[in-house]
Amino acid sequence: MTDDIQNQKLAALKETARPCFQCGICSSSCPVFRVAPELNPRISVDSIITKGVVPREGNEWLCAYCLMCDQRCPMGVSLAEILMEIKNISAREGKAPPDVIESAESLMGDGCLSPISGRSEKIRTELGLPYLPRADPTDVMKIFKATGAIEVIEANKETTQEATE
Amino acid sequence: MKYAFFPGCTMAYRLQFAEKSIRMVVPKFDIDLVDLPFTCCPEPNAIRALSDDTWLTFAARNIALAENEGLDILTSCAGCHESLSLAKHELEKNPERKERVNEILKDLGLEYKGSSVIIHLHQILFDEIGIETLSSKVKRPIPIKVVTHTGCHLLRPERILHVDNAEVPVKLDLLCETLGMEPLDYMDKTMCCGAGVRKTNSVTSYAVLREKMTSMQMVEPDAIVVFCPTCFITFESGQRVANRIFGTDFMLPVFYYTELLAIAMDLPDTELLLNEHRVKLELPKSEESTKETGVSRGDSMASSP
Amino acid sequence: MTTSDPKGSSSEPLEVEVVSTDPELRIGVFPCKCGKNIGAVVDIDEVARFAKTLPGVVHVQVNVYTCADPGQREIQDAIVEHGLNRVVVASCSPTMHEDTFRKTVKASGLNPYLCIMANIREHVSWVHQHDPEAATQKAKDLVAMSVAKAASLQAQPELDVPVTQAALVVGAGVAGMQAALDLAESGFKVHLIEKQATIGGIMAILDKVFPQNDCSICILGPKMVDVAKHPNINMITMAEVESISGYVGNFAVRVKQRPRYVDIDACTACGDCVEVCPVDVPSRTDQNLTWQKAIQIPFPQAVPSSYFIDPESCLGMDLIRCGKCIDRCEQKAIVPSDRGKYIDLDVGVIILATGFKPADPSKEPRLGWGRYPNVITSLEFERLINAAGPTEGALVRPSDLIKPESVAIAQCVGSRNISTRSGCSNFCCAESVKCALLIKEHYPDTEVSIFYQDLRMHGKYFEDQYQKAREEGVKFIRGRVGEIQQYPKTKNLRLSVEDTTHNKLLLEDFDMVILSMGAEGISGNFPLPISCTHDSFYIESHPKLRPVDTSSAGVFICGGAESPKDIRDSVIQASAAAGRAAIILQKGRYPIEALSAKIMQDKCNRCGTCVSRCPYGAITQDGTGKVSVMGALCQACGTCAGDCPQDAIYMPNFTNEQIESQIEVALQGDPSNKIVAFACAFCSYRGSDLAGVSRMQYPANARVIRAMCSGRYSTRFAQKAFELGAGAVLYSGCHLPSDCHFQTGNHWMAKREPRIRGWMKRNGIEDERFRVEWVSAGEGKKWQTIMTEMADVVKTPRKSLAQSKKTDDKKTKTKEPTRKKKVTKAKPKSTNTKTGASKKKIPRKR
Repeated sequence: MTDDIQNQKLAALKETARPCFQCGICSSSCPVFRVAPELNPRISVDSIITKGVVPREGNEWLCAYCLMCDQRCPMGVSLAEILMEIKNISAREGKAPPDVIESAESLMGDGCLSPISGRSEKIRTELGLPYLPRADPTDVMKIFKATGAIEVIEANKETTQEATE
Repeated sequence: MKYAFFPGCTMAYRLQFAEKSIRMVVPKFDIDLVDLPFTCCPEPNAIRALSDDTWLTFAARNIALAENEGLDILTSCAGCHESLSLAKHELEKNPERKERVNEILKDLGLEYKGSSVIIHLHQILFDEIGIETLSSKVKRPIPIKVVTHTGCHLLRPERILHVDNAEVPVKLDLLCETLGMEPLDYMDKTMCCGAGVRKTNSVTSYAVLREKMTSMQMVEPDAIVVFCPTCFITFESGQRVANRIFGTDFMLPVFYYTELLAIAMDLPDTELLLNEHRVKLELPKSEESTKETGVSRGDSMASSP
Repeated sequence: MTTSDPKGSSSEPLEVEVVSTDPELRIGVFPCKCGKNIGAVVDIDEVARFAKTLPGVVHVQVNVYTCADPGQREIQDAIVEHGLNRVVVASCSPTMHEDTFRKTVKASGLNPYLCIMANIREHVSWVHQHDPEAATQKAKDLVAMSVAKAASLQAQPELDVPVTQAALVVGAGVAGMQAALDLAESGFKVHLIEKQATIGGIMAILDKVFPQNDCSICILGPKMVDVAKHPNINMITMAEVESISGYVGNFAVRVKQRPRYVDIDACTACGDCVEVCPVDVPSRTDQNLTWQKAIQIPFPQAVPSSYFIDPESCLGMDLIRCGKCIDRCEQKAIVPSDRGKYIDLDVGVIILATGFKPADPSKEPRLGWGRYPNVITSLEFERLINAAGPTEGALVRPSDLIKPESVAIAQCVGSRNISTRSGCSNFCCAESVKCALLIKEHYPDTEVSIFYQDLRMHGKYFEDQYQKAREEGVKFIRGRVGEIQQYPKTKNLRLSVEDTTHNKLLLEDFDMVILSMGAEGISGNFPLPISCTHDSFYIESHPKLRPVDTSSAGVFICGGAESPKDIRDSVIQASAAAGRAAIILQKGRYPIEALSAKIMQDKCNRCGTCVSRCPYGAITQDGTGKVSVMGALCQACGTCAGDCPQDAIYMPNFTNEQIESQIEVALQGDPSNKIVAFACAFCSYRGSDLAGVSRMQYPANARVIRAMCSGRYSTRFAQKAFELGAGAVLYSGCHLPSDCHFQTGNHWMAKREPRIRGWMKRNGIEDERFRVEWVSAGEGKKWQTIMTEMADVVKTPRKSLAQSKKTDDKKTKTKEPTRKKKVTKAKPKSTNTKTGASKKKIPRKR
């Protein structure tokens, strides 16, 4: 992702966040904040509007994507978009949690979120369920390549390598 | 009416009996299901968090497949429904992105046009088939007390999904009443089950589940009724993990709605479905009844808006 | 605009001045040296010599200080001695002294509108200090332009209309009552219309009011009685305004009154009827917390002190359906045959005091009102804690009638939310602090917590009350309530709110929650077209300069109808509105704008375009399509004339002919070097004056033509200027979106820009030669910049129109319909009543 596109995305992010007036409805609606104080959607948006930067601590990965904050914001700030963008940026910097990379790799392989086991196929047959046609893996790969997902996965592999070294 | 059926990876490979219940029930309403080579929808949190464009392109591919056959997509998982619906909304809103996505799809011999509708089984049952028709097909009402969990991704954001009132959802409750059940109101009814963060941080996820189920337990239901396989697994299996971590004692049976529908319609072989459950519920025997006794007994929900 | 004599008792329009009927032009030009201000730069004697050569000029006299007494006297003497019938004073800005000189000439018997000015100080001597030669040339041009304009000036009669000596006040809440009392005390008759069965509005049902916490109905009650008893107030309850016609000073109002079914004079409010009425209805006063009967009195202190029957819930006032109250009433006050009636009123002024309604809590379902019995609104709380309320003042939980040990108050409900209303409702923060204090006063052990986003204690004494509340132990937590859930068995409530000061989630249990409800606008939907905001509050004419006027002359707004506010501010604003209304009433006559637009009926093709251009509703089309201007409403902005496709609107002192003659004269010599600059009187012209006052220097290319409003500049003027070879043209007005002193003139002018540019393009005229700019009265610097930049543009000489057309010869010059040649001394009103063969559009309904 070029600097130019990044700047554009950051500018778009600031525009989306701008109407926020820090009322706290989003945070008080967040089920994760209720049990884990590290994720505070209000503070995530605040970093963008007050400091003009995307928070880099990685707390947003705790977001369960339940969209309660997005639904309730009285200023119409699209928190779903903002939190997702923060996660995207974090992923590009190689900070995605390992399970996200696993899911992506499983998608590359089987076209499914988790690898399809022989057992689960067997249960389908036993229940009399039809065999579900699978996507062509080359098609799946084409999409991964064309949308830059490969680079993101690589970036995360590097970070894990560095961590283990 | 023919639909391209989109069970989603979770239902197809982890909750097969729920898919079975759908395939048992829908022919009774003149619905035919067509299976197409879909991929994962893709998952609206993990994959989208990795790369927004990747998510959008996979979703567009799935929709384009259905459009190719001239079919609308019938989803049975809330996550799939959200993913495909938001993707469609984004593509309609943003013609530039649509163009870029179509460039990639062209390489796969596909084109996203926007002609197919994404509809969830919940909407088909409530909005299209309707309570009256459903009621007429109920042969064995199920007189149990239930708490319903429509699920985050069927309700929010309401302005895009339009499935039910996001703050006070009632439709799943009414669907349950039709089958003779007594839906109970409970605190945190619209709260998430916690699934979205389970792989990243399981303790957090189970803590959210604990909050949710504590509120459910307060009203002492016989079972939980869901319309999403991920929520199903979270409640049914997750409650045990939560018990281990937090010392709680949740042990609620969970049902995917069409299972109960199949039972209420007295369809054959429903034991096949119930056998797969990890927390079993002995459903009370109810004699074949006329339509009159099929209505819910006792007071209806503790609060109706 | 000069004012007329006060309290004329005749109903005929007063003719004020003699109009010169002498067809021979006898123009007097008075160049002023203004000490050294003008004289040091401009060669005034040269200007004077030049002026003598201009057509129609019979007398030229130079003065050192024309505005001073001797200077004025000289003008007056000259008028008499030389029989002058037009006067041009070439001196400072008309903004400065136009009124002065008009008064001067009027005193000599000349109609004031035959006197105009040429600005050779702010626009010449002060800004071209380094180029006296160019300055003198410019001064000469400006004088010539004014003389050309003066040639076709017509005397304008100063008319006024009588003002009916009565006022209509719509709405009898505390604001309406105050306005009515103020006007009544001033000696005017007031018709006070109220929709409900009693006056008093929302204030009458509150318990105690902030900040003294005195009993609301106790302070309002006597006022209500005053209103009822006042000989000058005609109080009409259960009534609404059905239609209004007319204009300021002369409104004809039709009021529709609903039947009460009870004789006000006979009813003693004894309450016997209530005992026998079989119908229960939710109590409106008690916010549906309890029941009342179909025959009801809103509250004991209601004024008029009489019951009424709600026809929707009454079973029937005959012996078969019910009729029990009829027998029971010893006073025989029940009137089953009561019918609604229409009341026609004539008034001179109208005050709208229709208030607001409390926001609807069901629009924020996450807070549980309506589903959870122990979640109540602030107004429901007022009734509970009120000794006259359903629980006789005991604060108890609706679910079990037990006293709450802990109460939460949630702020900003129904406000500051794009799904309800994005604005703040002003009174709710103080209301909540009051509620907290009341709870503590009655139940000192009950815990009270207020959850707020911003605590707006803006009023007098408010901060003290906030401190007192904190001293009493009320907790204040900054965080807006996310959601409220109810415990199934106890019906206690659990609030989910972030304490944003400490970045901590609070999941707290309370016995009861009070939602601090904001206001929802209900303005609009009124027989007069008064503009409202999108959230239904009336819009004032100007937020600072005319905060209680509307753009409809004679109509004023106050109280909650204008914007949400508390009682004190409502009362203050009501008195303000009454004061403003009284000005019109006490003068007895309302001046019609002397320079108001006039329709030239022989040219008008009845397209109705002008009707939509007028922000004052001054132009109407009758059933036959004939267009006419109501002089009393016209503010003479000229926007209608600016868009009239037939040039059928005559704007006195700013006619097409006058403006075009100024353009012609301005471009007589060396047109390619000149900028024809249009500036509007209130903003741009003043901005250009400020540049002069601040001595900002710029090149002398511009020739400014003044109009009252930028809406006046039609596309035609720019085209004409370019046709005559102008180097550049400037259209300058007040800033968008809402600075225009005539409301919307600048918007209409802006819409013409693409058409002008299209025409320019077709005629090969470079885009940069035409500019549309927004210059405010404070932007002298901006004017200087524009003048300098445009001077640069005109350095490149114009391609001749013929030359540019060679490149594109299938061109029509303009797309305007062919017009009859203008008659130079046309009378404003045409006596020719022929409707014309041109298209007759169906008259548009407003």
